[in-house]
Amino acid sequence: MSDLLTVSHVTKRFGGLDAVSDVSLHVAKGEIVALIGPNGAGKTTLFNMLTGVIQPTSGEITFAGTAVPGKKPATVAKLGIARTFQNIRLFAQLSVRDNLQAAMTHRYVEHFVPIVLRLPSFYRQEQVATEWTDQLLTAFDLTDVADMDAGNLPYGTQRRVEIARAVATAPEMIFLDEPAAGMNPEETAALRTLIQRLQSEFHLTVGLIEHDMTLVMSLAERIYVLDHGKLIGSGTPAEIQQDSAVVAAYLGGGVHA
Amino acid sequence: MHTFFQQTLNGLSLGSIYALLALGYTMVYGIIKLINFAHGDVYMLGAFWGYYVINTYHVNFLVALVSAMVVTALAGMLIEYLAYRPLRNSPRITALITAIGVSYFLENGMSFLFGANTRNFPQAITQHNYDVFGITVSNIQILILVTSLVLMVLLQLIIQKTKMGTAMRAVAVDPEAAALVGINPDHVISFTFGLGSALAGAGGVLIGLYYNSIDPLMGMTPGIKAFVAAVVGGIGSIPGAAIGGFLIGLLETATQAVGLSAYKDAAVYVVLIVILVLLPTGLLGKNVKEKV
Amino acid sequence: MTKAKVKVAAAWFALMLAGFILINVLVVVGVVDTFIENMLVTIGINIILATGLNIIIGFSGQFSLGHAGFMAIGAYATAIITSSLPTVLGFYVSMLVGIVISVIVAIIIGIPTLRLRGDYLAIATMGAAEIIRVVINNLKITNGAAGMYNIPPLAGWPTVYVMVCLTTIMLCNFAHSRSGRAVQAIREDEIAAEAVGIAPTKWKLAAFVLGASTAAIAGSLHAVYIQTITPTDFGIMNSVSLLIIVVLGGVGSMTGTFIAAIVLGVLDTVLQSFGTLRMVIYALALILIMVFKPSGLLGRYEWSFARFFTKKEASHE
Repeated sequence: MSDLLTVSHVTKRFGGLDAVSDVSLHVAKGEIVALIGPNGAGKTTLFNMLTGVIQPTSGEITFAGTAVPGKKPATVAKLGIARTFQNIRLFAQLSVRDNLQAAMTHRYVEHFVPIVLRLPSFYRQEQVATEWTDQLLTAFDLTDVADMDAGNLPYGTQRRVEIARAVATAPEMIFLDEPAAGMNPEETAALRTLIQRLQSEFHLTVGLIEHDMTLVMSLAERIYVLDHGKLIGSGTPAEIQQDSAVVAAYLGGGVHA
Repeated sequence: MHTFFQQTLNGLSLGSIYALLALGYTMVYGIIKLINFAHGDVYMLGAFWGYYVINTYHVNFLVALVSAMVVTALAGMLIEYLAYRPLRNSPRITALITAIGVSYFLENGMSFLFGANTRNFPQAITQHNYDVFGITVSNIQILILVTSLVLMVLLQLIIQKTKMGTAMRAVAVDPEAAALVGINPDHVISFTFGLGSALAGAGGVLIGLYYNSIDPLMGMTPGIKAFVAAVVGGIGSIPGAAIGGFLIGLLETATQAVGLSAYKDAAVYVVLIVILVLLPTGLLGKNVKEKV
Repeated sequence: MTKAKVKVAAAWFALMLAGFILINVLVVVGVVDTFIENMLVTIGINIILATGLNIIIGFSGQFSLGHAGFMAIGAYATAIITSSLPTVLGFYVSMLVGIVISVIVAIIIGIPTLRLRGDYLAIATMGAAEIIRVVINNLKITNGAAGMYNIPPLAGWPTVYVMVCLTTIMLCNFAHSRSGRAVQAIREDEIAAEAVGIAPTKWKLAAFVLGASTAAIAGSLHAVYIQTITPTDFGIMNSVSLLIIVVLGGVGSMTGTFIAAIVLGVLDTVLQSFGTLRMVIYALALILIMVFKPSGLLGRYEWSFARFFTKKEASHE
């Protein structure tokens, strides 16, 4: 299987500090890959480089054969990379439905004249968008809250809306930044099922940053471990749990999935 | 060369007035993120107070200056208490509209009570011109420059050395955290308005002396220019406001000196836009990037 | 188009037609004299300006304080062109020219400044509008500070009414479409909007340019109705009074903009007999409304026939 995402020798320097230092990794199409490491290890910095929010100081990132560095986040999104944020970032005053439709902006084309004159082509495009939105609402169990402002929803639902919004961009790969943060065990269990469905139903490749080791160990097919900006280990969950360097840096003695 | 130094002196005199006003804008903005549109009108109040006490009680310049500062400080605190405090948690644009309302109220209220006509500011100090290496320096120019510099140094001392100054800086950085360590943000904000308004009042008396004429709408244009100065310097930054003020004063005088006086306002705004495009937070402003 | 949509569109059209007929009748029976007609036209022009500004401020969340500058461009384009082509055709040509120049200027101003945030953008757009005004003040073709007068009266209240309807339809259709959702997403969270593929600069510019072009239309109407324009008609305070309409009505509510423009227009006319006191009362009213109703008269509420019909059907069941 060919790699969807390859990262080679990527470094990000902030002032004198290497937040991410010479990291290389690869993700195959359809995989669920987790990135773990202590706070401040550079996980989110790496995510931000993969999604175009910040530019690497050196190194290469290739997604489906296209170089990512130098592109703006909106362009990267059009390449097929979607993401969620560590601290949820919804369009709070827009309804859940509009949150999803806003994410389809680049997927269907409406021109100014048909929009303001409400020509038939406008209604055709809206129809396509609406149908697709309805499908997503059903798939993510959001139909009941579709017309509520996203900002007024409970925390767990907001997480779900954010993932649904990322899926609405019709990506090939989705990055989830600590999706289980602040969730109780039931919500985390539902999230696990949801992430598995992203892989099985939506055929997405998933990149996951998470501190909940139980979740990571049960979901990820492969894991990369980052510490102080350096990659200190990689492998299957079983391998990671045996890796003494990883255990020393992060997992500690007590965590077994 | 001659004209150059002459114009620089004129520019600095004008600039110091802008700087005094800009300091008020920048302090208020730094602490509650409000463009206090009525600030220029507080400066007008200061000028009218100076006019009143000098004409009625024949007081000297210093008494007029200090009493104007006290009166405008009280006015500023009153405005904050009545119009801005109820809106502390409202959208910022609402507070801005209220500030515009206060500005209209002061301008038109003064016109209504005292008439909209221009008045001659009494000469509390007789003007003398001195010839220094061929440059004409008036005692009023020296007075303006010295008074502004003294006030700016005083302000810096208050902000850096006093307990209230520390509290002001704390509230500007994080009002909630400041409240947690026992600072009453209401007191601090009120104090900030008082301080800023006192400087504006001083500016009003000084400009009355310099230009000899005052009217209820005199605060509008200098108010906007001073705000531009604060933005150019980096809003929220005290030294930035002072630098911005002098810069705008010099720029205006320079455009006039090269015969483009019709374009002096445009020049100010062109510089504003160029500086903002190059340095989005002004000359000395801190660029706070949003964390993702 | 579904049946429900036809019904909604028909309801809006009927409302617009009813308004037109109502004013016509009032003019014929003499309730609307020149004085009131003047007020109605001013309200109409302010609606065109403020709804456009609401697209920029309320929908895309960009704080622009330079709207009067674009109005000036439209007004002067019309004044200059109709002076040598004083026909109705000339008027519409001049309106188009005004729109085109406005759009070009908006792009030139927008590309560098729309990257700025909040108050910085406000002050930069205010500066840009002042630059436009100073330039007009010093050009020969615009007759400098004296302004332009004897502009041919090529548009009465019916033209203004129709233009109010057309620009409102255009702006509301824009707001309720993919484009409207994109610019609102940027307002809500620029970083998240970028992450879902919405290019912020492009969409902010789209809203800014759209607002600028409707402002030019309003300027053209103002020029031929008032027949005299001077650079001072388009100063900072004019931009500010448009901002007041938008905020007073409720940022992001087109219905609110309509109501605020009408309330302020009537208030202004009623207070005219108070002389200097008029602005004092106006200022106090403004402060009090903001203190007691900080989200504006209507908040984010929007009148919708679609919702109205659905509710009515629901209550029938």
